[in-house]
Amino acid sequence: MATPVSVLRLPKGPDPNSRGFDPKSARFIALCRPSIATSAASGAELQREQHARSVLRETFLRCLLSMNNKKVRFHMHGKVKVEATFGASDIDVLNFQVSDLHTPIGVQKEALIRSQDVISFTVDE
Amino acid sequence: MQGSWSLLGPLSWTGYINKQVNVTAGTDESHQGWLVTVDPVSASLVLVDFREDGGTSMEVVMGHAVENVTVLHEADEVTLDRLRTSVLSPATCSLDPEELSRRRAGVQIWLQKNRVPVEEEGDQLRVAGVLTITAPYGPEDCCSSNQIILDRIQRLIQLQTDHS
Repeated sequence: MATPVSVLRLPKGPDPNSRGFDPKSARFIALCRPSIATSAASGAELQREQHARSVLRETFLRCLLSMNNKKVRFHMHGKVKVEATFGASDIDVLNFQVSDLHTPIGVQKEALIRSQDVISFTVDE
Repeated sequence: MQGSWSLLGPLSWTGYINKQVNVTAGTDESHQGWLVTVDPVSASLVLVDFREDGGTSMEVVMGHAVENVTVLHEADEVTLDRLRTSVLSPATCSLDPEELSRRRAGVQIWLQKNRVPVEEEGDQLRVAGVLTITAPYGPEDCCSSNQIILDRIQRLIQLQTDHS
């Protein structure tokens, strides 16, 4: 008798209202729950915090933009160091898209790197 | 603050901006540089270092790997200037007001030609009440919380730059 095959569901993507990430999605809970501290602040304090948040985020996105198409060196867990050409990051910084990834066994034309595996990455200009 | 870097929150992170910091991350890595920004989503740090040959290197340390952050130095005026110019929008408008108003009018006419409702608001352009275009009025200067409108307008302005 054939056993039923379970349906594999992909995690919910970012919601379309440009909020970027849904704190209730399985993907978010699994991968970056501790990264966002929701503060109990209210009123003026909250507004100040939101302003700081938007300034920081904008600068960060501009930094990522400036790295586009540049050679980067990834330092990963387990003392792994690889070089690649930086492409982009997804909205909640869970993956990096890179080209020409120089792995120990050869060059991978296009690749996605999980940010959980990365400690840091460097661009030299 | 061992291991709690990502829980600090935007207001505390702001206190570290533009300072030279030492970051320990992963098992035994340490990184030094001037802190440019912290991503509020992933708590990742962006560090900039000026090399002796005049080049700059930019490093991103992932928030989840950060163990400890300590401040080494505060930035002086010269370093602050260097940080601003090296990383953040090198093209912060150095155009004269006349050139700017010419470009603003150009973009406005181009958008109107494409049946896009646009109005002037001081030195900004406002599209349908949901998108603003600031000087110098290129595709990168559009700002909106609606990404579909943002994409369309950016494409339109890009087309105009390609044509002229």
